[in-house]
Amino acid sequence: MHVIEIQHLSFAYPQLDALQDVSLHMDQGEVLCLVGPNGCGKTTLLDHLIGAHSMQKGQIFFEGKDLRKMRTKELSKKIGYVPQSRRNTFPYQVLDFVLMGRTPYTGVFASPNENDMQIALDALDQIGIISFQDRIFTQLSGGERQLVILARALAQKTPLLLMDEPTAHLDFAHEMMILETIVKMIKTQNLSVMMATHFPNHAFYLQSNGVPTRVAMMKQGRILQIGQPDEVLTVPNIEQVFGVNSQILSIQNGQAGGLKTIVPTKTTNKKERMMICDKIG
Amino acid sequence: MKLKSTRRRAIQKGAPLLFVLLPLLFIILSIFIGRYPISAQMVIDTVWSKITGNPVAVPDIAQAVVWDIRLPRAILGAMVGGALAVSGASLQGLFHNPLVDSGILGVSSGAGFGAALGIILFDNVVMIYVLSFAFSLLAVMLSYMIGRIYSTVPNIMLVLGGVIVSSIFSALISFLKYVADPYDQLPTIVFWLMGSLANADYREISISLLPIAVGTLGLFALRWRINVLSLGDKEARSLGLNIRLYKMAVVIFTTLATAGAVSVSGIIGWIGLVIPHIGRMIVGNDNRYLIPASMSIGACFLILIDNAGRMLTGSELPLSILTALVGGPFYVYLLKRTKGGGW
Repeated sequence: MHVIEIQHLSFAYPQLDALQDVSLHMDQGEVLCLVGPNGCGKTTLLDHLIGAHSMQKGQIFFEGKDLRKMRTKELSKKIGYVPQSRRNTFPYQVLDFVLMGRTPYTGVFASPNENDMQIALDALDQIGIISFQDRIFTQLSGGERQLVILARALAQKTPLLLMDEPTAHLDFAHEMMILETIVKMIKTQNLSVMMATHFPNHAFYLQSNGVPTRVAMMKQGRILQIGQPDEVLTVPNIEQVFGVNSQILSIQNGQAGGLKTIVPTKTTNKKERMMICDKIG
Repeated sequence: MKLKSTRRRAIQKGAPLLFVLLPLLFIILSIFIGRYPISAQMVIDTVWSKITGNPVAVPDIAQAVVWDIRLPRAILGAMVGGALAVSGASLQGLFHNPLVDSGILGVSSGAGFGAALGIILFDNVVMIYVLSFAFSLLAVMLSYMIGRIYSTVPNIMLVLGGVIVSSIFSALISFLKYVADPYDQLPTIVFWLMGSLANADYREISISLLPIAVGTLGLFALRWRINVLSLGDKEARSLGLNIRLYKMAVVIFTTLATAGAVSVSGIIGWIGLVIPHIGRMIVGNDNRYLIPASMSIGACFLILIDNAGRMLTGSELPLSILTALVGGPFYVYLLKRTKGGGW
């Protein structure tokens, strides 16, 4: 049985068709990277899976169960959500922030107990940031905050994680750290991850580190192609989706098959180019 | 290997007891304080005779001052202060905004209008309480209805609704002041709008007890969920919270607590904004500790302010004047000491 199966999902905002006839499925222990330009519907798709939108057309099944029939609490024991690194919250201690991952398992009027505390500490330890526990979340750097958010998602103990551009706004080192942590989480916890990303290279990175990876290329609310990174992330596809000319290089990083990487060379958008030419002329 | 939390939280460990004892201490101390001269021995004798039922050699008037004026006033002060502070802390969490106070959804201005209406139409204290309570509930209901678009209630819309409703009721209060009898009703309205515990009696306590108790106990029970709500709608939902339900619950509980308080005490500013911050600086931002801390500090603070208000000058000073004059500078001092605590 598929972990997630989406059938013919369509969704429109009052002025905009955000998703058009999206169908896909995911299996246990695999990563699905949603790749596409800004506004292509990645976030709207993820929002459907955490129940933030009322579904208009189509169906979503989690392990064969209709998502519409699952209550918010039940859903949150199955699907965790990792937002972009954020700051606009109260200055909670890191441990308290990670403890919030235990919300689905606490009663309406209850607070987390000792067992929840232990799970939160374990999650911090697994990510390798147990020393952060007393620090103030809002005083951490963007990359450190993102690691804490990953720890909270681990504490939530869900088989599926949704990540909305988990490396947005991070520096090189923290981007790698997050990707390494994601690889480790998938391998040790047998997690499935659906990840929206602006960086197609992430898919190659995950694949070269031995994670079963597939890529769904999205544009204007549709899935154009879905499959292995090698099959989908091709020069013509990247031109079609992003309007960018590129070359794909292969680097020997010691892993079997090496690490592929896309190097963008220039935009192909004729209108944009003409405008720039006009300014120069 | 079993991992241990390294947190240093001595103040939070001993806190529950302290949070209960401190307001009790303030209540007891404040029955010794007042302008009517009663010796400490007479106060103790009075309390002892009330508890044991044995008659004592204390003048009736002194007994009445201690038991029927000072004691209910201190108790009501504790209830009102605690209710305002805990509502402020909860709404700050709900809106993840530290600038919010207990009146943000229009409770205070609704209550003010109801009270002014009661003063003009009825000249009956109980009717003033009833109208004040009713209009504060109505104001929040209107704010909530304005804020409800689609099926959700976005925070920004809710705040906007509160601002609109507040300013409409403020205008209506101005109108009532304009038409009120300037020698009799107008001073009463103005005085009411600045807050006072001068009417405090066991009747006021019994009227406001139910809404304040339901509201504060509800918020106390939901204090962990308020942490999660403060992450914002999307994350809170992904952590399994039924956003609409919990938002509504927090709004209802804060409204009951605040309405119960302001309907008997008038509008008392600053407590709902400042006390939660003082709490944050002492116990941190975790609402599991912040909610009880706010209750306790709010209760103590208002008792203190009320004692000052009736002792400082020949006549009673309205509470809002003192809460601002005392709370403001103290708040600045705390901000400088703790450097804002992570904001």
